[in-house]
Amino acid sequence: MINVILIVDDSPISRKMLKSCIPKDGGYVFYEAGDGQAGLEMYMKKQPDVTFMDLTMPVMDGVKALEEIIKYDKHAMVIVVTADVQAQSIARVMEIGAFLVVKKPPTKENIQEALAKAQEKLG
Amino acid sequence: MDQIAQITDEERDILQEIMNIAFGKAAADLAEVVNIFVVLSVPDIRIVDAADLPDYIRTEFSGFGNISIVEQNFWGEFRGNALLIFPSDSGKELISLLGDGHPVSFESQASDFLENETLMEVGNILIGACVGKVAELLKDMVTYSPPRVIIEDHPSVSMPDTLFDPENSAIILKTVFCFNERNVNGFLFLITSHNSVAWLKKALADFMEQYE
Repeated sequence: MINVILIVDDSPISRKMLKSCIPKDGGYVFYEAGDGQAGLEMYMKKQPDVTFMDLTMPVMDGVKALEEIIKYDKHAMVIVVTADVQAQSIARVMEIGAFLVVKKPPTKENIQEALAKAQEKLG
Repeated sequence: MDQIAQITDEERDILQEIMNIAFGKAAADLAEVVNIFVVLSVPDIRIVDAADLPDYIRTEFSGFGNISIVEQNFWGEFRGNALLIFPSDSGKELISLLGDGHPVSFESQASDFLENETLMEVGNILIGACVGKVAELLKDMVTYSPPRVIIEDHPSVSMPDTLFDPENSAIILKTVFCFNERNVNGFLFLITSHNSVAWLKKALADFMEQYE
C-alpha cells in the first residue's frame, strides 16, 4: 500500500507538475527534496513507499542518489522521472535498480500508470 | 523592456524546465545518430539587455580562445537565434565521432570543409530537436534557416547585429553539455527577443493549465 511519496527534483515547478498528476484523493503524504543529497537524507528519514527521482540535479545527481538509496534499501521503489531519455541513461538507471523510468514532461496518465504498477508490485 | 520585466520567476522556472526537456530530447536524438553519451547539465535562463549580449558572450568564452559557432535562426510565434558553440578544436573530435571513431588526418582544406560539415550536422540535430521540442510543448510551429558555421577568435564579432539591438532585450536559454567519451564541451544558447514575450507568457500559462 502506497502511503508516503517522496519527490526529488531541483525544479520546484517540476515537483509541482509531478504532484499535480497524482490523484488528490489518494490520501498520500508527500515529501520533497531539491537535490540528490537532500533526497537521500529524506529517504532515510521518511522511508517513503515510492520515490520519484529526477536525474539532472546539482549537488548530487539522480544516478548517484539512486545508487545510494538502493545501497541503503535494496527494496526501494524508485521511479525515475527524467528529461534525459538517452537509451544509455535509461539502461544505466534500470541496471542500478530503478523500478521504472518515466519521461518528462509527466502526464496524469503516465504517472498514474507508474503508481498503479508500483502498487501492484508492493501488493 | 516592460514586457521582459514582467516575466515572473515562476515563468522563468517553467521555461527552464521546458528547456531541460527539450535538450534531453535533442541529446537522445543525437545519441541515436552517433554512438555517444551526452552528459546534460541544469539549464540556465537569463534575461539581459541585448546591448549587453556581446559582453555576456565574451565573458562566457573568455577562457576558450577560438570558438566555432553553429548559428541557426528559427521563426514561429517563438522566434530567435540558436547558437551552438564549441571550442574550435572540437570540430576534429566530432568528425571522428560521426565517422568510425578513429582519429582523422586530412589536408588542411579538406579538414576545414569536413569540420564545418560536421559542426553543421551536429548543430542541425541538436538545434532542430531542441527548438522543435520547445515549440511542440508550447503548441507552436517553427521553421529554420539553414545552419551556418562561424569560426571566430572573437565571439561577439560575427553575431548578427539584430541580436544586439539596444532597443531589444534577450531571453537566453543556455545549456552546457559534454560528450562523455570525447571530453568535448559545448554550449547551446537560444536567444529570443522581447517580441516573443507576450506570446511566450500566454503559451507558458497554457502549458501549465494541465498541471492545475
